Amino acid sequence: MHLRLIYLYRNLTRNKQRTLLTCAAVALPMVIYVLSTAVVSGVDAFLDNSARQLRLAVTHKASIINMLPEGYALKIKSLDPTGERLRAACGMRWIGGKMQNVTQPLSTVAVDAEEFIKAFDDFKLTETEKAAWLRDHQAIIVGRGTAAIFGWKVGDRISIRSSVPPYTSLEFHIVSTAEHAQDANTNWCHRSYYEEDLKKNIPEATQGMVSFFFVKCGSKADLDFFRVEIDKLFARTIDETKTQDEKAFMNEFITQQFDLPRNLTILSIVTVFVAVMAATNTMSMNFRDRFNEYATLKALGFGGGYVFTLIQTESLGLCLLGGIFGALMPYVAFMHTPLGRVPVPVIQHLEIRPIVCLHAIAIAAVIGLIAAVWPSVLALRLKVVAALRNLE
Amino acid sequence: MSAADIVATSVRKVYHKDRIEIPVLDGLSLKIDAGEFVVLMGPSGSGKSTLLHLIGGLDSPTSGSIRVGEYNLERMTERELTAWRSRHVGFIFQMYHLVPVLTAAQNVELPLLLFKMSSAERRERVATALKVVGLADRTDHRPNQLSGGQEQRVAIARAIVTDPDVILADEPTGDLDAKTSEEILALLNLLNSEFNKTILMVTHDPRAASHGQRVVHLEKGVLEREERNPARPAMAAS
Repeated sequence: MHLRLIYLYRNLTRNKQRTLLTCAAVALPMVIYVLSTAVVSGVDAFLDNSARQLRLAVTHKASIINMLPEGYALKIKSLDPTGERLRAACGMRWIGGKMQNVTQPLSTVAVDAEEFIKAFDDFKLTETEKAAWLRDHQAIIVGRGTAAIFGWKVGDRISIRSSVPPYTSLEFHIVSTAEHAQDANTNWCHRSYYEEDLKKNIPEATQGMVSFFFVKCGSKADLDFFRVEIDKLFARTIDETKTQDEKAFMNEFITQQFDLPRNLTILSIVTVFVAVMAATNTMSMNFRDRFNEYATLKALGFGGGYVFTLIQTESLGLCLLGGIFGALMPYVAFMHTPLGRVPVPVIQHLEIRPIVCLHAIAIAAVIGLIAAVWPSVLALRLKVVAALRNLE
Repeated sequence: MSAADIVATSVRKVYHKDRIEIPVLDGLSLKIDAGEFVVLMGPSGSGKSTLLHLIGGLDSPTSGSIRVGEYNLERMTERELTAWRSRHVGFIFQMYHLVPVLTAAQNVELPLLLFKMSSAERRERVATALKVVGLADRTDHRPNQLSGGQEQRVAIARAIVTDPDVILADEPTGDLDAKTSEEILALLNLLNSEFNKTILMVTHDPRAASHGQRVVHLEKGVLEREERNPARPAMAAS
């Protein structure tokens, strides 16, 4: 092996603990970057799919937690008596849910059964599933990811305690695991069943209210048309509406919940900044430990450029090691182990793309070059005589 | 490579510290013949090491001129001086300054990275240099596996592997015991007598000084006196 490479390798392994810790300090932000990018891409894909579904989401104008009367469904449908341009208006009420002795919360939505099938035709339920869903008051369509976690299958009877009043346990019969639904985690049950339970346990509770409506349109033009018309219809009423397409609604919902893209971007930037500081600290310590060596190299006839390059190369190598490890770790974990099959809220499962790993490695390389700037400049300016005088 | 003579003329060197001028060399003139072994002596602060560094092109004089062979150092840029050093000067330091993570052979090979030559030629030169200093059997040892004397021998091999005209040694025996010092000085004598290298050595040790052909005493930045060593007459330069 060429002496330059031997020298680089020996420099990298000179202080193994320092090298290991610095690699880890660079690797961790790269893991976060790769995972964050995968999550954001997954959310984008989810939203893009929502955009294709020609659905409008109608919520209360004040906020999503304010309820709307279920009667709005008929009024909305009256905007197109033919049912060609406005095909369904499905009232929904979020009831959450919890399994007995399981801490993980569920996402269950009570829906208008018939309208749901029309509004969510992208679920591609079979005729058997549709029939079972419409026939059975206690039918539930479970997300396939949730089904995988709990080992549920079609035909199973399950019990879910609602997270909203009356907080009772509801018995359900699984009729489908929604294999084609974009959302693999949410469960869907009959709203009439929930309303019945509510009436039985809290007779004084306000009934016939929904959290939101999903309105299925016939075309993109219809989508744009009814987005305006629905809000006009309920203008100057007690419960004014806010209508937006499904992508905008989902985006707003995700943003309100955890503002993923923004927070993950901030997290990535902060961790990369920390990695730069850690790597800079390492390279500065290396410089302090070896300035006599750099002075000797200069005395022997190596120019400042050589010493500059030597430090830059070492820093680059150090950060590339961390970057490659940090980029490949989530790739291997999520693409080549069972971890990749674990469902993730909203986005089903994480898909780590090789190009994102390459980006992470490139970022690590940039970190390496930035980290070495200050020590390299110090080495470049190092006065041999002054350095030797300090040592002898 | 043939030996080079050294001519320092009216050299002044002033350092500045906290806006105070500290004159180290004060109009010093010195001539060293090609192939001569000259010893610089003097108390601390007399300017010995500074003169050595100026002659080695590691620093520039405040005024005056220094010529080594055909090169006028004061006219050269830092880049030119660096390139010149790699080809014409071999340095030996008191603390050896070997790269601790490289073996003896790799330390000696290091300056050859600045030369365009095949790896076979490099290996041959390294083997020759280590043989000259008597360490042919220690090529794969790292500095921490060598004694102080052996480390200095490796440093000498590193200094001569490029076949320089001039060897500048700054207290090369300062960190060694008497017996090892004698061995190192004998080696420098060999480089001077057999390989015709011009050697300028700084030392405090009168016994070490007795190995030179001429001893130059500095005092407060000026040449105080010179002594010829009758036991070691100067040879004609080749």
